[in-house]
Amino acid sequence: MTNARGPVVHYLNQFFAGLGGEEAAGHEPVRIDGPVGPGRALAAAGLAPDVTLACGDDRFGEHEEDSLATLLGWLDELRPAVLVCGPAFGSGRYGYACGVLAREAGRRGTPVVTAMTPDSPGVIAAEGAAYVVPTGSNVAAMKDVVPVVARLALTLAAGDQPGPPDEEGYLPRARRTNVLVERTGAERAIELVLAKLRGDVRTEIAPPAELVHPAPAVADPRTVTVALVTESGCVPVGNPDGLPTRRAATWLRYPIDGVASLDPAAYTSVHAGFDTSNAEADPNRLVPLDAARALERDGAIGRLHGEFYTTSGVDTPVASAVAIGREIAAALVEAKVGAVILTGT
Amino acid sequence: MSSTLADLSIATFAIHEVVEGTRTGRNGATLVVDVPQLAVGARSDALAEVTVEVVRPDDPVRIANVLDAALPDVRADDPDGTFPGVLDHGRDEWLPPGPIHRLEGTVVLSVCDWGAAGFSEAAELPDAYLDMAGPGADRNPWAGDTAIVVRCVPAPGVPVADADAAVRRASLFAGRALASATIGDSPDRLDVWRHPSTVEVGSDLPAIAAVLQIASEGPLVDTFRLGRAMGTFAPTVVDPREPLTGAIVNGAYDWPAVRNVTAVYQGSALLRALLAGHGERFRMAGLVLAPGYLDGADEKQRAASRTAELLAELGADAAVCTTFSSGNSHTDTMLTIRACEQRGIAAVGLLAETNGGLTDHVPEADCLVSTGNEDELVDAWTPERVIGTDGDARVGEPVPTWAYVGACVETGDARLTAVPA
Amino acid sequence: MCITALPTIAQMVGANRILRGVAITNPTGDPSRSVDDERAFRRRIVERAVEMLATDVEPRTVWELQP
Repeated sequence: MTNARGPVVHYLNQFFAGLGGEEAAGHEPVRIDGPVGPGRALAAAGLAPDVTLACGDDRFGEHEEDSLATLLGWLDELRPAVLVCGPAFGSGRYGYACGVLAREAGRRGTPVVTAMTPDSPGVIAAEGAAYVVPTGSNVAAMKDVVPVVARLALTLAAGDQPGPPDEEGYLPRARRTNVLVERTGAERAIELVLAKLRGDVRTEIAPPAELVHPAPAVADPRTVTVALVTESGCVPVGNPDGLPTRRAATWLRYPIDGVASLDPAAYTSVHAGFDTSNAEADPNRLVPLDAARALERDGAIGRLHGEFYTTSGVDTPVASAVAIGREIAAALVEAKVGAVILTGT
Repeated sequence: MSSTLADLSIATFAIHEVVEGTRTGRNGATLVVDVPQLAVGARSDALAEVTVEVVRPDDPVRIANVLDAALPDVRADDPDGTFPGVLDHGRDEWLPPGPIHRLEGTVVLSVCDWGAAGFSEAAELPDAYLDMAGPGADRNPWAGDTAIVVRCVPAPGVPVADADAAVRRASLFAGRALASATIGDSPDRLDVWRHPSTVEVGSDLPAIAAVLQIASEGPLVDTFRLGRAMGTFAPTVVDPREPLTGAIVNGAYDWPAVRNVTAVYQGSALLRALLAGHGERFRMAGLVLAPGYLDGADEKQRAASRTAELLAELGADAAVCTTFSSGNSHTDTMLTIRACEQRGIAAVGLLAETNGGLTDHVPEADCLVSTGNEDELVDAWTPERVIGTDGDARVGEPVPTWAYVGACVETGDARLTAVPA
Repeated sequence: MCITALPTIAQMVGANRILRGVAITNPTGDPSRSVDDERAFRRRIVERAVEMLATDVEPRTVWELQP
């Protein structure tokens, strides 16, 4: 029995809520009384969900504003003592939904616990609002994760603060908190710039890893060479070079000179993170080669680069994604490619 | 000496207590305020109602719909010329005025519920609070000062720019009236600000310039210089003492925490530190006013390059670059930093943060001052009174830092900064 | 630039030119259309992508298919 100052609310995706698999990824948000699926495990661990909210992963991703509005409307009515999202494990879309919901619930002052792989986009999306229990990719870890989540959530539901990350089993929260200091920002700025003049470069805000100022616009698209890059796992049929279906740390390139369109008999997708049937029927739906060729033929672009670049962007550690991006970019710069169209799923 | 380079005197009078009385005047460190008379004097045809209220430090009061904060000032030899262009017909050029008398320990706040008055332009304006007590008091740069709250209700049918001008006149009128109580008195402190070019200093000292970013995008999001909306202006070298004299006045009411209220121009910590330090560890090279929120990458780049060019002409070795509010003005700051660095001018920028990180960044921005995290929630508080609105004022709910006026101002006047949690 | 049906994730990881794709399973296609219609539709998508490449943008800008 929880000593909670309000209901316990649990957020799940379509699969864990028992609404279906990939085919139900478009499911609209629903509200269910009591625990569902992993919620029963939470209940056994002492944290019984009073209400379960669920939404299809694709529905959330493709209709984020509406889905959020519905879910937050319910949260505003329920005024939970704590919100638990997931565990999402290695699912990027599910983790993302958990992270966004955590962030928005956090803005309303609701404590949130979630669980996912440390590389999940949900960790970034949460902006430090949630206590994130790190997990492996595999659902089999559920029985280990649940007690940690339950304990954290019970603490928060009682209005208490959890202990430090390594003791309580959550990722250090990437939060920046305000403090009042002795010197004004102006005085500190003068000190920092005097130090910079002496060669001692210090900063109060570290350069952000993911922030890059936009590249200047292409001056004349009719003269530029454009390359097609994809993380949709598009490869020749048979996957002759063995592109991994998940957790890829590699990328491949395939020649497309003289190829007017991606023939479904010749190309496929091996990406393990989405339903590939639409893509199997027409791979141009992942890599728009036929349209790019048409623009090249009509002179709207200068040239289509002679190769397309491919990887599978599912369960990819951030470090791998950065390395893949850098390597592909280096290859493109060397080939004097001026612009890239990258397709993602 | 040319009158353009004359010394500027600011005489400060410390006020420890404000009491209401039948005649506005000063009794040592006590300011007596004839509140009804002040309200009458602040009136104009464009306003249906003006009320004045004294709110003291630690009063359990939340003030909502705060527009501007200003320090009470009067030009002792030329009271009519105080807040030029706002309280008088204005003038074309700035010259160092005669002695300014300024009250310390009081601040004038203008308050207007534009939404309740029916102005659609106000629909997008975010909530703007100042708490005199409670957990939000440390987000209030004037929590230790007595607030003279000038609350205005626009007259029906008045265009928004006219109503706004009237609100501005009302509050600055009140500021002048209060400061006028000191005319003829000896100050507690006298600061004489000399133009740096009139002070001989060692030429081996590094030269630091200030870049004050200002935006002025239309009614309710304007900044006024000598009474005129600045609009889209070209980067300009100005006398570094000009903002201290009430020549630049705020009329922008979007994001409260990063709002450049009039008080941060009058009391500019950056300009005062650079002017006071001139000749010690550095030389003050000068001040450039730079436009923020320019439309389009080309315009932004041209302005950034021009600012850096002016800084080079001033002989600056380094520049402190402030930011005006949030969003794409951060790009203006980044491009300015980059343009400086490309000319070999070491640049530091002042920026507020959010939970989502910075809005923009360039590799040259390796030296940044944090003026705080605007997204951080302040604990819920239930004040005994709310001034400035009959509607919702987030009473009893957590309030994001961005809603507190001046808390994270990117001119460097506040003392809030963000650190890892 | 990138075409994706999850533009907010792309924004989060620092992409600056983002065109909202049709769906997670088919960012540059639409199986509900006829073959000819879909081909013309995909051409418009790629034209919009090229337009975005030729436009200066603020950081993390998302465009929709229809301007």
